[in-house]
Amino acid sequence: MGDEVTPGADFELDWLDRKLREEADYIDDAGFTAGVMQKLPARRASRSIRAFILICAAIVASGAAYLLSGGGRFIFEAFARAELFSPLTIFIAALAIGFVITCGAAYAALRRSEAL
Amino acid sequence: MSLTDADLVARVLVDDDQHAFAELVRRHQSVVRGLLRQLVRSDVTLADDLAQETFIRAYKNIRSFRGEAKFSTWLYRIGYNVFREEARRRKELVGIDETQLETQRDPSTVDAALRHDLAHALQTLPVHERTAVVLCCQNGLSHDEASRVLDIPLGTVKTNVLRGREKLKKLLAAWETK
Repeated sequence: MGDEVTPGADFELDWLDRKLREEADYIDDAGFTAGVMQKLPARRASRSIRAFILICAAIVASGAAYLLSGGGRFIFEAFARAELFSPLTIFIAALAIGFVITCGAAYAALRRSEAL
Repeated sequence: MSLTDADLVARVLVDDDQHAFAELVRRHQSVVRGLLRQLVRSDVTLADDLAQETFIRAYKNIRSFRGEAKFSTWLYRIGYNVFREEARRRKELVGIDETQLETQRDPSTVDAALRHDLAHALQTLPVHERTAVVLCCQNGLSHDEASRVLDIPLGTVKTNVLRGREKLKKLLAAWETK
């Protein structure tokens, strides 16, 4: 079962409390739950649909960026410049990027677990 | 093994699982409707409308449930807020509908007269004392939980429960020895 309502421990039960609890009869559902479910707002798009939309948006945005940047010329230029960096600089840059991504993921995971 | 409330809430949060939410409604509908019936003085239709609004609001705001309190306590708090808004809207609380009250009673119940007197005595309490008594004495919340539900200081809850119980005992004194 779920979390039951447990008797309060702030006072001893006397005849009044016992009668009050007897008075709290179980109320039969009688279609109440179905009524609530009918009135709930529409479900948000499922996770797979949301993922599909995000991927499509990313592809379209990448395509637009590629076309607007003259066929991705800036990428070749960036690689050409990267060749000038020392291996140590590239290693540190990769380490820093990995650290930032890990921190972001850990933060998101903590936020989600807090929400639960 | 059946799922706990926390498991069901997690399913609603992560997968927007409405079946899980339906299970939560089924589990808690009785106590929420019972509380609201006491608060609106046994107007069953109004109480059920408010209970429905309570669950719809809970669904919409389920992300704000942090799991610090029990799910039922969180629901009580929403239900109480819904009731207060309705009371403010109407400016005055709804009176007792004796006919409705009677139709819900099982005439074969042994303590029918006591139950009637108890229900009537509860309705004579001011709303703040009635709410505190219903939450703590009838639904078994601790004073601390009730203070969170009602958003009032712990000491005020204790005072309201004490005064409400004293008044009830005075009103029902004839039953005490039976």
